[in-house]
Amino acid sequence: MPTLGDIVTRLSFLAAMPAVAAIFITTSLLVVSREWRLNVFALAVQYFFVVLLMTRLIRLEVAAVKGLIGWMICMVFYMTERRASELASYADGGAESISRWRRWVMSARAAFCLLSMLLVAVAANTAALRFPLPEVSSDITLACYVMAGLGLLLIGLSEAPMQVGFGLLTFLSAFDLFYVALEPSLAVAGLLGAVSFLIALAVAYLRASQVAVGDGESSA
Amino acid sequence: MIAGPILLLVIPLAMAGIVYLVLRWETLAALLAIGTAMALGFAIILLPLDQPVHVWGGQQIALGETVSFFGRELILDPSDRVAMALFFFTSAILFALAWRIAPRSLFLPVGLGLLSLLSGALLIRPLIYAALLLVIAAALSVFALQPAEGRPTRGGMRYLTFATLALPGLLVTHWLMDRYALTPDDTSLLGISAVLLTISFASLLGVVPFHTWVPAIFSDGVPLAGAFVLTVGNGAVWFLLLDFLEMYSWLSAHPEFDSLILMAGTGLVIVGGLLAPAQRRVGSLVGYAALVDTGAMLIALGLNSKVGLTLLFLALLVRPVGVALMAVGLSGLRTCCGDDDRWDGMRGVGWQMPWSTTALLFGGLSVAGFPVSAGFVWRWSLYRTLVSSHPGTAVCLLLASIAVLGGVWHGLFVLLERPHSQKNRSVIPLVTTEGWVKGGVILVVVLICIGLGLFPQLVAPWASRLTDGYTFFVP
Repeated sequence: MPTLGDIVTRLSFLAAMPAVAAIFITTSLLVVSREWRLNVFALAVQYFFVVLLMTRLIRLEVAAVKGLIGWMICMVFYMTERRASELASYADGGAESISRWRRWVMSARAAFCLLSMLLVAVAANTAALRFPLPEVSSDITLACYVMAGLGLLLIGLSEAPMQVGFGLLTFLSAFDLFYVALEPSLAVAGLLGAVSFLIALAVAYLRASQVAVGDGESSA
Repeated sequence: MIAGPILLLVIPLAMAGIVYLVLRWETLAALLAIGTAMALGFAIILLPLDQPVHVWGGQQIALGETVSFFGRELILDPSDRVAMALFFFTSAILFALAWRIAPRSLFLPVGLGLLSLLSGALLIRPLIYAALLLVIAAALSVFALQPAEGRPTRGGMRYLTFATLALPGLLVTHWLMDRYALTPDDTSLLGISAVLLTISFASLLGVVPFHTWVPAIFSDGVPLAGAFVLTVGNGAVWFLLLDFLEMYSWLSAHPEFDSLILMAGTGLVIVGGLLAPAQRRVGSLVGYAALVDTGAMLIALGLNSKVGLTLLFLALLVRPVGVALMAVGLSGLRTCCGDDDRWDGMRGVGWQMPWSTTALLFGGLSVAGFPVSAGFVWRWSLYRTLVSSHPGTAVCLLLASIAVLGGVWHGLFVLLERPHSQKNRSVIPLVTTEGWVKGGVILVVVLICIGLGLFPQLVAPWASRLTDGYTFFVP
């Protein structure tokens, strides 16, 4: 049975520009999509590629723990949203299938998000070329800027708890990816993981409150 | 021997769990929370730092002993001692108010948990861990800010957002300073650090344009939890800022330091002063009044002198009284009006809720720095200091305080409005719907507010002691 190290070695060809491209795609999905299943999946994949990039900077075990924290966060979001959608479907009855179809149609909001996302991505690329981050390579710099920029965009575009939560966690992932190169301390890694996990719990709590007052669909 | 700093972290955390378990028995939960905060507050003040104290069972407690915690040091400095006592006593007051105002809310257990985290932020070295603990505390405070039955709190989410956005600047500054120690010729590192620190602390303190979380936490959050965030939580941020200034003395020695802080403070005062009287909601008024107060504190820091720093500490010591009273008033009025805090829906409510109206009035007077209130203690001295050196800033601050008073005055008129016709006059009940116990608790805090205004010598020595712990300012 292959060990974790073997798997990472096999996937090491991804830990450069392919990972940056994957991070860009998953973060873009978070910005544009309001389909919670897709968003939670995108966040989980984003954590995978962030961890893959981190393996170039820190020990594999530490990066793996960071990945586990990220996937636990995705589990929290998944369970929260699943319960919320169940409650919403009870309340809506047959309207669920209609609203599900409506989500896939390109709305004005989605078009605006797409355009904003492209602008931020261009800005991030320019920033990565002009202001390279210390102690990290150019591809990791680009990944950091893309995630930080799109995370901020997510925070700014909505006040719904889940969207803001995705934005905050994406922003923190960007910072974490950069900061592990500056401060590889285990205590800092642990506390940053605690920050991420508590943010996820707070967001889930707010989302549950939103569902409790019967406003379940607005943030999904 | 038990190290005191560990107890300061563990006891509130353990009690938070116990209080959560007994939350359904509101009096017991409140008494446990108040007792814990008071006991730890008195322990910090009374126990000696330099020698161990014998307690039951032959155990010894050494309050001043440095503890290594996962390789990091926990140190209780004399200046931190007063700061932590302030946190614990402020929390005790807020817990006492929560006993009657917000019973069974998560504020009590989460507040104790926050006390543990914020104590850790004051005690731990190096400071990057303090920054991380502050953000963890911000995430935890969302649970206290969220009302039990209400829409998700925008204020809590914004507070968490701004606290998280402040984190990178604080952590990277630490690394930049380490690098500067190795390459002292590279002065660009200092410039980057100054910018990062300015943005980070502006976010944490709610300085314009990062101020939107302050009115928001009072607009839709649990008001007492909002007061906790603005007094204890923000208090920890102030002390962290001062620790940064003390550690990196080049920052306060920078030629632009005074003008930058003064400009930030004046900007905050102007924005708060312009927006406070225009608010149609009580919660927003409380938030903008608090913003003016924060602006005044920044102005005091911008004086970059011993007097300015003493005034800042005086403000930190008396601020909880005013903000807590306003929060209590807001909470009572909001409950009476079905969670709607618009002035339009509160006409004549003051007759039904006299204690909440009294709390809002006296809290507003204190936050605005009106004479014979707790807030006047330091505002008067600040005006006198500013008149000679920065008369324009003094005028701005005075006008902003008058604007806050205007907002409170307008609210008082609305709350005490009587129907015009003789027929309608009879619908106003002459019996208050607020209990006498709640009235008694509010009365005690109002008396503390007036007492501090009349006898500032009660708190001034503590502010002086706090100032003695810092040397970064111009003598």
